Amino acid sequence: MTPPDSARFPASIVQARALSQRVPTADGLLAILSDVALDFKAGETLAITGASGSGKSTLLGLLAGLDIASAGEVHLFGERLDTLDEDARARLRAGRVGFVFQSFQLLPALTALENVLMPLELAGHDDARTRAAHWLERVGLAARARHTPRQLSGGEQQRVAIARAFATDPEIVFADEPTGNLDADTGARIVDLLFELNASAHTTLVLVTHDATLAARCQRRLHLVAGRVQDTVSA
Amino acid sequence: MNFLRLGLWLLGRERASGEWRVLLLALVIGVGSVATTGFLGDRLQRAMRDEGARFLGADLLVTSPRPVESWPDNPLATAHAVEFASMVSRGDAFQLATLRAVDDAWPLRGTVRIAPRAFAPGTPGRALPPPGSVYVDPQLLPLLDAQVGDSVRIGEAAFRIAGVVVEEPGQLGGVFGLAPRIFLRADELERTHVLLPGSRATYLYQFAGVPATLDAFARALKTRLDDTQRVIGSREGVETLRGAFRNMDAYLQLTALISLLLSVAAIAIAARRHALRHYDQAALLRCFGATAAQLRVLYATQLFALGVLGSLAGAALGALVQQALGGLILPDTLARLPALGWRPVGVAVASGLLALAGAALPALMRLIRVPPLRVLRRDLPPLPLSAWLGAAISGAALLILVVAYARDLKLVSVFVGALAALALVLALLARLALVAGRGMRTVSRGPLRFGLAQLLRHRFDSTLQLGAFTLALFLLGLLALVRTDLIESWRTQLPPDAPNHFLVNIAPHQQDAVAAWLADHHLQASALYPMVRGRLIEKNGQPIADTLPPEDRGDNSLRRELNLTWTASLPANNAVTAGRWHGDRRVGAPAGGTPSGAPLLRSDPSAELSVESGMAERLHLALGDTLGFRIGDQTVAARITSIRNVKWDSMQPNFFVIFAPGMLDGLPASGIASVRVPSGPGSPMSGFVKAFPGITVLALDKLIADIEAVFARILAAIQLLLGFLLAAGLAVVVATLLASLDARRQEAVLLRTLGARRAWLAQGLMSEFVVLGLLSGVLASVCAEIAMALIAHRLFDLSPQLHPWLWLVLPPLGALLVGASGWLTTRHIVRVPPMQSLRALG
Repeated sequence: MTPPDSARFPASIVQARALSQRVPTADGLLAILSDVALDFKAGETLAITGASGSGKSTLLGLLAGLDIASAGEVHLFGERLDTLDEDARARLRAGRVGFVFQSFQLLPALTALENVLMPLELAGHDDARTRAAHWLERVGLAARARHTPRQLSGGEQQRVAIARAFATDPEIVFADEPTGNLDADTGARIVDLLFELNASAHTTLVLVTHDATLAARCQRRLHLVAGRVQDTVSA
Repeated sequence: MNFLRLGLWLLGRERASGEWRVLLLALVIGVGSVATTGFLGDRLQRAMRDEGARFLGADLLVTSPRPVESWPDNPLATAHAVEFASMVSRGDAFQLATLRAVDDAWPLRGTVRIAPRAFAPGTPGRALPPPGSVYVDPQLLPLLDAQVGDSVRIGEAAFRIAGVVVEEPGQLGGVFGLAPRIFLRADELERTHVLLPGSRATYLYQFAGVPATLDAFARALKTRLDDTQRVIGSREGVETLRGAFRNMDAYLQLTALISLLLSVAAIAIAARRHALRHYDQAALLRCFGATAAQLRVLYATQLFALGVLGSLAGAALGALVQQALGGLILPDTLARLPALGWRPVGVAVASGLLALAGAALPALMRLIRVPPLRVLRRDLPPLPLSAWLGAAISGAALLILVVAYARDLKLVSVFVGALAALALVLALLARLALVAGRGMRTVSRGPLRFGLAQLLRHRFDSTLQLGAFTLALFLLGLLALVRTDLIESWRTQLPPDAPNHFLVNIAPHQQDAVAAWLADHHLQASALYPMVRGRLIEKNGQPIADTLPPEDRGDNSLRRELNLTWTASLPANNAVTAGRWHGDRRVGAPAGGTPSGAPLLRSDPSAELSVESGMAERLHLALGDTLGFRIGDQTVAARITSIRNVKWDSMQPNFFVIFAPGMLDGLPASGIASVRVPSGPGSPMSGFVKAFPGITVLALDKLIADIEAVFARILAAIQLLLGFLLAAGLAVVVATLLASLDARRQEAVLLRTLGARRAWLAQGLMSEFVVLGLLSGVLASVCAEIAMALIAHRLFDLSPQLHPWLWLVLPPLGALLVGASGWLTTRHIVRVPPMQSLRALG
């Protein structure tokens, strides 16, 4: 893919300041995230760790612009997200952000190739089909291109999802528990693939996981306890 | 990428996986039934118009007291005749007759039957006799002591009687009191020298062609004709069929609305399921950077493409079904009808799109409001759409459809009102039924307990399903009731012993002799009514025309003399709707008759009369108005004290105006009665004609047979439409079940994983559906009884009654229908091994 250049990679790709998320419950406001701050450079890999319910996925959603925080600021690609409406945030993501989900989130009616094709078509790539085929080959599924998700194993489905995430040549990939639904061996292979592709594409990777081994492979680690950053480790 | 293209691409991909199948199926059935109703209704109405044309002898008839020299340009087929009264003689016998000189095209529609002797069946043909001969009314033969083949004189010419006319179009159009008819050739009229300049004659012009041309021609004519000239359309061909026409119209409108409603319900349920299954897709697309506007384009494109596809398929299905079955219903008229045009197809597609928009838009609009965060938290629902907005979209679409299909606003208002009430009642009853179910659960055990628990656990879904099933069953029940109640009641209006002959022109001194003759021959006659002819001229002392708005001044009842009668007892088949029947409140008729020369206004403030409701409406007459009639050279006035509904198709002598006894006594009156004569060879009526040569006998058997044929067609059409409605009802049932299938599959998998046996689970599901079906049947029976009572009372003037068979049929039918559909739709979820299901669920 195209080599990175300084114009495309600003110094900070994601920044958060005094980020808090509270949701109303029967007993009043519940704080899911409190006062989170981070500054994350292009090309880095970041693991967000913590126990179940510690606010990992919520933080991921806020950083990717899928949701808006109750307080604080998030800057993605230099744009302050809370000043943008839902559509403006969607336009900001188009073609520049990739996602990998715990539950794969493949469209059941589409084949593996078509699932990879989808974000390429949305981003308006002229060579969408060639790119999709190329990325399926990169994840070792060229032979399964015409299979629907139902005909693929969990590991294979996650490979398709990884191909889909990288196909648009994004600047940043968000991965939410990418091995959460897979057995240990398959998970390990998926992680290898994820890091390998990330390295070769010079993409920024934000990874939510409760797996310490997986987190250890990232350059930076952010540990959340009850919605607060308890520990930031840089490798 | 172009989202329009992406929408179509995704639609194409999902087609393979069957995602859209339910929605499309519902749409095809809905539009198919609407299109069939539309096509068939259109054709049936045209067939009805044909019947009218057959009675009139043409699609359009113009009558004029003088020849019409020029006509608006038109490509219509035409036929001409001149009608006038003249004496006919044979030897010493003379008789006044109505002569009709016809050209070779007369009549344009229907047939004239000519027989070699009186009361023989005859063969169909034209009215034009061979040169030098005439066709005569069978009444004329005994009056002239003549046989077919004998010669008669008309004016200065002699003609041979070539046959008797046993049937001709227009036979019943105000024919009472006319002298017997003779047909002769127009080109031989001159040699009789009876029709001289200034002679009183009616010039008749028949026209036939396609409806659009006829309408344009009739419009052009209106500006050219004066008050003495009349244009008669085929709908006016015979008054007796009018009631059938009206009921037919009302019935078809009702059926079209019902099938439309069922399909909209099915589409709405399928669309809701479809939207639910696409929340993840929409969230993912949002995540990939699609804006709300782009998603709107994507889903609107899919909806539109699906709408066009389903509607076209539905229209094609409708065209096929109506073509195949139309032939069975209208074997004789189908061939003459023009081919199906594109317009009904356009209407069907527009209806399909509108129904789809109304039913599916609110659900699909929620899709674009799915938050992208759903990709991380799958329990997140879309942002709520304003309930008012959704209801407004559906309501507007439905209202447009309902108003477009039902041209009758009264029907629409009753229907919409009933629907609103129904929705409320259903929601309430469904909730009540479920509360009752809770009580049952505590005493039940095993799979039944599980089934009831299922019903109660998904209370919202159960209410929705119960409502939908009930609606389907209710409409089916209602249709069956409409079919049996209304149609059968029409039928029973014509009992097997309905009179089939009218006796007209019975002189007062003949009444006893006629009654004795009929008794001798074991024939039962209706009451004998005295009849005088008079023209309505005044209302409350003012010329009647001055009291009417210009558009109502041309009413038929002002243009001709009316048959007036008097009686103390309200005739059978008449019902007083306003005021009080005058009974025997006799008014003293002035003695001594009229001073010659000066018309006398007999105005007695206590003189009373009764008016038919349709006439009262058309002429803006109300109780208390005083009407003045010119009878001969006298004027008679009386006050309206009652307004009556008259069953015109009762085959009894019926009258627009009935006076109280005493007012018209002493005026020269003739009597009219109807009588039932057994059909078959050797009719006693030929003896009657010989015994009473001055009395006109009108045979109505043919007319009765025609009316029965119309009813037979209506019944056949209803059976066909019932089949379609059943399919639409089943679509609702299946769509509702599929809507809950995902949740059910999940529960079944969990239960099987926890150790539930397959048979136990199947019995549980089955008992749930059977209970649901039974409940729906009971609720539907309640609703159908209420709606039927309203419809019978408001629309068809029938008194409401209970239908026990409905309660015996609907609940088991509901159990069977819902049970079978439920088992067919859900059986695989208990068969698939839990592991496989768990994987499929993701």
